[in-house]
Amino acid sequence: MRKELILALVVLLALPLAALWAQEEPTPGGLLGDKSDGSRAHPTHLIPLIAEDEDGEKGEQVALDADVVLPFSTKWTCGECHSYNVINHGWHFNALDPNAPAGRPGEPWIYPDHKLGIQIPLSYRDWPGTYKPADIGMTDFRFTKLYGRHFPGGGPGETTATEIDDIGRQYVSGKLEINCLACHNGHFGQDMGGVNGWAVNIAVKENYRWAAAASCEFAAVTGSAAGMTEAYDPFMPEGDADEPAVNYAEHAFDADGNVLLDIVRESPNQRCYYCHSDVFFTDEEGHDEKWAHEEDVHLKAGLTCVDCHRNGIEHDIVRGYPEEIADSNNPLVASTTCQGCHLPEGSDVPEAGRLGAPIPEHVGLPPVHFKRLTCTACHSGPWPDTETTLAKTARAHRLGTPSVNKAKEMLPHIVAPVFADEGGKIAPHKMVWPAFWATEAEGEIKPIALDVVEKSVGDVFAELEIPENGDWPGISTEQVAQALTALSAAVDANAVYVAGGSLYRLVDANNVAEETDHPAAEPYMWPIAHTVRPATQSLGIRYCTDCHSNDEGFFLGAVTVDSPLVSETKITKEQLAFQGLPRFRTKFFAFSFVFRPFFKIVALGASALIAVVLLLFALKALGAVARVLAEDQ
Amino acid sequence: MFQTAAILVLLATIVGIIVHWFAFPASTECRSEGVVRGLIHVFSLLLIEQRCSLLGALKKLCYIAAAVCFVLLGLTGFWSVVLAGDHISGWPMILHATLAPIFAICLAILAITWAGQNRFEKGDCPWLHRLLRRVTRLALPAQDGPCRCAETSLKVTFWAIMILALPLILSIVLSMLPLFGTHWQDFALAAHGWTALVFAVAVLIHTYLAVRIRLGQ
Repeated sequence: MRKELILALVVLLALPLAALWAQEEPTPGGLLGDKSDGSRAHPTHLIPLIAEDEDGEKGEQVALDADVVLPFSTKWTCGECHSYNVINHGWHFNALDPNAPAGRPGEPWIYPDHKLGIQIPLSYRDWPGTYKPADIGMTDFRFTKLYGRHFPGGGPGETTATEIDDIGRQYVSGKLEINCLACHNGHFGQDMGGVNGWAVNIAVKENYRWAAAASCEFAAVTGSAAGMTEAYDPFMPEGDADEPAVNYAEHAFDADGNVLLDIVRESPNQRCYYCHSDVFFTDEEGHDEKWAHEEDVHLKAGLTCVDCHRNGIEHDIVRGYPEEIADSNNPLVASTTCQGCHLPEGSDVPEAGRLGAPIPEHVGLPPVHFKRLTCTACHSGPWPDTETTLAKTARAHRLGTPSVNKAKEMLPHIVAPVFADEGGKIAPHKMVWPAFWATEAEGEIKPIALDVVEKSVGDVFAELEIPENGDWPGISTEQVAQALTALSAAVDANAVYVAGGSLYRLVDANNVAEETDHPAAEPYMWPIAHTVRPATQSLGIRYCTDCHSNDEGFFLGAVTVDSPLVSETKITKEQLAFQGLPRFRTKFFAFSFVFRPFFKIVALGASALIAVVLLLFALKALGAVARVLAEDQ
Repeated sequence: MFQTAAILVLLATIVGIIVHWFAFPASTECRSEGVVRGLIHVFSLLLIEQRCSLLGALKKLCYIAAAVCFVLLGLTGFWSVVLAGDHISGWPMILHATLAPIFAICLAILAITWAGQNRFEKGDCPWLHRLLRRVTRLALPAQDGPCRCAETSLKVTFWAIMILALPLILSIVLSMLPLFGTHWQDFALAAHGWTALVFAVAVLIHTYLAVRIRLGQ
């Protein structure tokens, strides 16, 4: 009896211990590389490369003389010293995590389709105005194929496929692990966008398991998982040239089979630029290329991206907006904002001048502007013109990858800068006007899955020719009506079309009714933070009329309303429409600035007169006092 | 803090004027209908004599304009700050900025035209005269006449208005020039607010005293 009791106690004690031991998520700081010891020198990464086995678990060390030379797995290679299961909760990888705060709306993924008239913003995060990929029938596997080119792996790339079509493909392709080298490889040979690099291996070849190896400087990947059938076993290749295979450079391995990786904690700007480049087009000839535009003033001043956008092992990277403190546990978010470096306050010790930040005087600027505008309104993005321009971003237009259509009209159409209200302050934004096919039921608009749309309306738009510049081919309202008729029959519901800020409903086989400014057709906007211009190029540097003018673009500039539909005239809206300001009052106030110099002259003149009168009578009073004191009177 | 102070000061001034009016009527005729007469005086702008000359008409016009501007500037300036605790903005700000230079011109004209008649004279403040005689031991002639408190106070408030007009105008005009950074801009705005408050009190008292003196004549 006593023995049974003791045994029971031991089991009871052992169970929680076992649970702890079996815990999948090590706490931060648990592995060697999770927390630095304070040395600012870069640790030397002469390490073995570890592959993944067929069960997705830790496999063998990569050896050149192995029967099957597998691509290294970042999860098991880097994960030896850095808690992978902590890192994958970081900002770049946690889009699918329902517990991760969505934070301020950012750039969405945009799915364009010229012929179907689709341009829909997608995001896994709960950003209002975006749609989940599943809303249009896009699985995580397909999303990874389309957009994995410009994200560093993890997230949807690591979810286990549940769709029948994807399960088999995923076994062949593997999962797209976090590619630590995408950010932390200091070697100039890191290849994200080249013909044999990361992007092509994902988007074209579906070589997810090999993509990280393909991107590094000491490995080359041949073959294509996309060309293999679902019966193909990547762990038992047959040696066919078309099979995905990795070839490591022999010189990269030392005698012990370790590889010296040029790993840097502080990611070089080039790594960030691959996903976060953008270009704003102008009408000026020859100003479309990056060399004709300036970089961010912070970079030219010597800062790097990661000087501000910092994180620890949690990879909870600083995004840099003022309200981020409510969304992030990163201890630096409060101080790593524009104000945090340039105008710090509220600290017991001086914090001004961090990273060499100059303290702005804002001479002559009424303080009310700081309540009504963000810092970026005056300092970031392109100077507001009378009309918005088209912009391109790396993620939307796959910049930096092969065979990009460099025309500015290439879909998706992003217009910028749009000065819109953001949480009570006006800030510059990029904007996309959504266009998609949807059903309408009880006032709710739901997108229709892409494959359904393609099957149903593909014939209606089959004759459309896509222009060489990648612009909309231009669809007519009659075609929209025909498409809606076909779609309504296919989905057995009221099909509608959202485009150009309007909702189109079917009237009859050839006519549609347009409801303008429908909430579902509202444009999706995300704030512009970069490129920060120098102070001498900020709005208002010349005079108040940089903004407060009926000739300038800040309030009264035209924002292009982009639509796949053919239109005789260009449809625009005023910037004011997005700022929540009354038109007449704003125009009247801008007009009043014509008289401002006279106001100052009159007021100063009146002050001078009053001062002279006061001085005159003060002197008289002084004279009277002097006479009394001299006992003359 | 400014919001609270403004409410308290303005209320105290108005209440003080009302209490003073009833406690010390301007004339025996005023006990019952004084308030009405006083209001009529204010609204009919009989605070200054109508002189049948161009200059007289201009002076009166200037006074009327100043009075109207003061009321509108006070309303637009204090309304949002005192009641809503927010910056002045929108149409109130546009109106405020439009009337401000007109008010400044009127103040300058009033300063030139009224300064002479608001000079302090010997009999203005007998108690001050007595104090000076005691303190300085100078051979000052005695001033035993009655204290013309209302007239003296009227002059005091006039000069207070003129003195306050300078910081009131300059605090805003100089902030429109590219001279001062944010810290001094905040200071200038605060200075404008507080000066405006004291200015408003001075104007209210000045107007009240002018009505009293007029009614007593």
